[in-house]
Amino acid sequence: MSRKAITGAAGIVIALVIGALIMLAQGFRPVPTYQALFQFSLVGLAPLATTIKNSVPLILTGLSASIAFASGPVNLGQPGQLVMGALSATAVGLVLHLPPGLEILALVLLAMTAGALWSGLAAFLRMAFGMSEFIVTLMLNMIADFFTAWVIAFPLMDTKAYSPMTPQIASTGWIRDIGGFNGSIFFLLAAVLISWFVFRRWKAGYEWRLSGQNSLFARLGGCDINRNFVAVMLFTGALAGLAGGLVVMAGPHRFLKGLGANYAWDGVMIAIVANNGLIGAVLYGLFFSAIQTGALGMELITDVPSEISQVLQAVLVLVIVAGRKYLGAVLDRMEARRKAAERAA
Amino acid sequence: MNELIRLESIVKVYPPNVVAVDDVTVSFQKGEIHAIVGENGAGKSTLMKVLYGLVPHDGGRIFVEGRQKHFRQPAEAIAAGIGMVHQEILLVHQYRVWENIVLGQEPRGWFGSTDVKEARRAVGQKIEEFQFNLDPDALVGDISVAARQKVEILKLLYRNVSILILDEPTAVLAPQEVPQLFSELRRLRGKGHTILFISHRLDEVVSLSDRITVMRRGKKVSTVDSAATDKRELARMMVGREVVLTSQRAAHSPGTAQPCGGRPVCEIRDLSFTDSDGLVRLSRVSLRVRAGEIVGVAGVEGNGQLELVNTIIGLFRPDTGQILINGTDVTRLPIIQRRRLISFVPQDRGTMGGSLSAPIMENVIMTHHRLDRRFSQWKGLLLNYRFARRFTDELRDRFSVSMSSKLAPLGSLSGGNQQKVVLGRELLLDSPFVLLDQPTRGLDVGSIEYVHQQVLRIRGEERAVLLISADLEELFLIADRIVVLHRGEVAADLAVEETTVEQVGYLMLEGRPQPAQQPAESP
Repeated sequence: MSRKAITGAAGIVIALVIGALIMLAQGFRPVPTYQALFQFSLVGLAPLATTIKNSVPLILTGLSASIAFASGPVNLGQPGQLVMGALSATAVGLVLHLPPGLEILALVLLAMTAGALWSGLAAFLRMAFGMSEFIVTLMLNMIADFFTAWVIAFPLMDTKAYSPMTPQIASTGWIRDIGGFNGSIFFLLAAVLISWFVFRRWKAGYEWRLSGQNSLFARLGGCDINRNFVAVMLFTGALAGLAGGLVVMAGPHRFLKGLGANYAWDGVMIAIVANNGLIGAVLYGLFFSAIQTGALGMELITDVPSEISQVLQAVLVLVIVAGRKYLGAVLDRMEARRKAAERAA
Repeated sequence: MNELIRLESIVKVYPPNVVAVDDVTVSFQKGEIHAIVGENGAGKSTLMKVLYGLVPHDGGRIFVEGRQKHFRQPAEAIAAGIGMVHQEILLVHQYRVWENIVLGQEPRGWFGSTDVKEARRAVGQKIEEFQFNLDPDALVGDISVAARQKVEILKLLYRNVSILILDEPTAVLAPQEVPQLFSELRRLRGKGHTILFISHRLDEVVSLSDRITVMRRGKKVSTVDSAATDKRELARMMVGREVVLTSQRAAHSPGTAQPCGGRPVCEIRDLSFTDSDGLVRLSRVSLRVRAGEIVGVAGVEGNGQLELVNTIIGLFRPDTGQILINGTDVTRLPIIQRRRLISFVPQDRGTMGGSLSAPIMENVIMTHHRLDRRFSQWKGLLLNYRFARRFTDELRDRFSVSMSSKLAPLGSLSGGNQQKVVLGRELLLDSPFVLLDQPTRGLDVGSIEYVHQQVLRIRGEERAVLLISADLEELFLIADRIVVLHRGEVAADLAVEETTVEQVGYLMLEGRPQPAQQPAESP
């Protein structure tokens, strides 16, 4: 645990230093830039609330990828599952009119179901034809992307708008701010708690984790590998679908072109830096969100383009992953040297 | 004394804690063929890789012709006249023989281009000089493995290497190709080259080498003149298990057990299995294990043991035949239902017996978590971690596993302790039938003895044990009956008291009983 915290903290510091060097090389001043970056993301209620709201899809897709990778299935379909979740919540939200609480609940469940079905399709193809979920989920991302683009440009297009988007969903389905913080945070909290509980306390979670580490061992131990595979795909698909639903309901209340943005790919990246840990995914999700949120404000008062946030993210991933391996190797080598000295004595 | 190379107190630890070479001192003389023998994992290859500069060592010194050397990479060793041929042959198949030989050290012609004529001449001259019988213009992809090996050796000779290290050179050769390699090696020795060769085939070692160094578990046992030793003595030095022999014999007294054990627990009838390549791996195998009986399965590796184990446990589906445990036909049952009846210790802890990266506790509760109700909470949805911790403590105490924490990864334990975890987990299942696949492979002497005692203990509990082992001495030590597998068939089913190691050895190799030899019976 402390080893993870050390690599994480050291990685963040080193990444910020490298980011500063990149800024210096381009003639920008790093200190005021960082000041602005964190001022607009962490200092004060409004920036903090925005950072947390923006972290919702990042953390949910990060959890989705972490649980999938740690359990074995290579579910890289979060982008597709996210937009399918968002599209279903939008489509039904346009026609369904329930009282506020119920409408929100119905749309959230629907988004999760849509995400789970989209990843379930990949699971089905794997079970029925032995097709690798790795490639199938990637291909399904493309299909989902173009399908949603078609839906918002034709059947569900808002005719009053100038670019492809749907009309707004029923206002009872909007997730509003409560005391400055967006209500979607509660869904995030619930999802994190449930995920942790299932993954760390359920029997199924135990089998998922062990299958992820050594599937032959789990199989010989009597675990039903195929059932677990399907369950993990459905569960992680639902998490990504939930992210999509919440993005629509908390934000623009409609499906806009490019709504999925990079959330899901950032989620995969978060899973990688978190080494597929759930708590790590939450923390890195918050940090990524802080960088992305702060960058928009930073752009207003400095000359540095907001794209620097992507540079920082990329550097962070590289530094932490490399650092983790390196630290492990260094510690192992120290242990080996100690043992050799013992032998020689 | 004509000492050419001296390795002094070499220590190599593979991170984090695998001691591969443990304080080895050995010297090689000019113009000798020196064999390094030992079981798998004895440290032979690692020692040679240290000399070749491929593996950095953690302690000790290397002297070549009296001068201390430190090779940081193979190129430096080659420059000093030391070259190594690896077990896997590394050549460019699309290149010709001469191209492979000069690769990396081509004679240069105009504007840095390869001087083809000079290269071919140099290679041809080397082939001539050592009488290697190779066509320098043949494509390496077209020639035989034996010929490729010659190319590897010539590659080193082209670089003027005078000390050749060969890592299990005969492992890739057909038996009839071996004598030719040996005569070539002798010819090299005649020209003043020194040859160090790694092997675990004692026949070749005795016939080829001048001196032999035996290694066991990272340590040097001894260096002997091959004229002054024989296979038997080498084998004893390599295995070194006499300690176990005596202590176990006392513990095991087959005379006191009831002659045939109790009721049959495991019955295998006419089991056949054909693999995906269409090769028949098991052919009408039938055997029976009774309660309170240990049945050993002997056989040269690859004679159907793997398939027998995998069909019993449920990884493979047999073509025909039945597997009955306590009268239940498990032949087509899913693995979890078999596991109610079968305890299974696989031969490989890291891939089948456990997850080395998972905490010890999570390794301990596997299978139990499904079969034992005490692991369930909330109608089986939740895993009872409190009970899991208690259960792990119980296993630790009953099987005396030394562990610092239940949550430490299994891989952080020593091999013997890992095996205790796996064995303990399986024996704590209350199954009538226990399937053990090479349960002592790769363990040290003390752990082997521990495993044997446990196996004898469960035999006393009237459980039925099927023990697959490559170690005949082990089978004779603890088994009541021995079934010999030969080419997927049961070649014999013998009571231990009525046979000998020699007879079983003959059956393993030939698949039929040894012809009687006593002169009294053949007048």
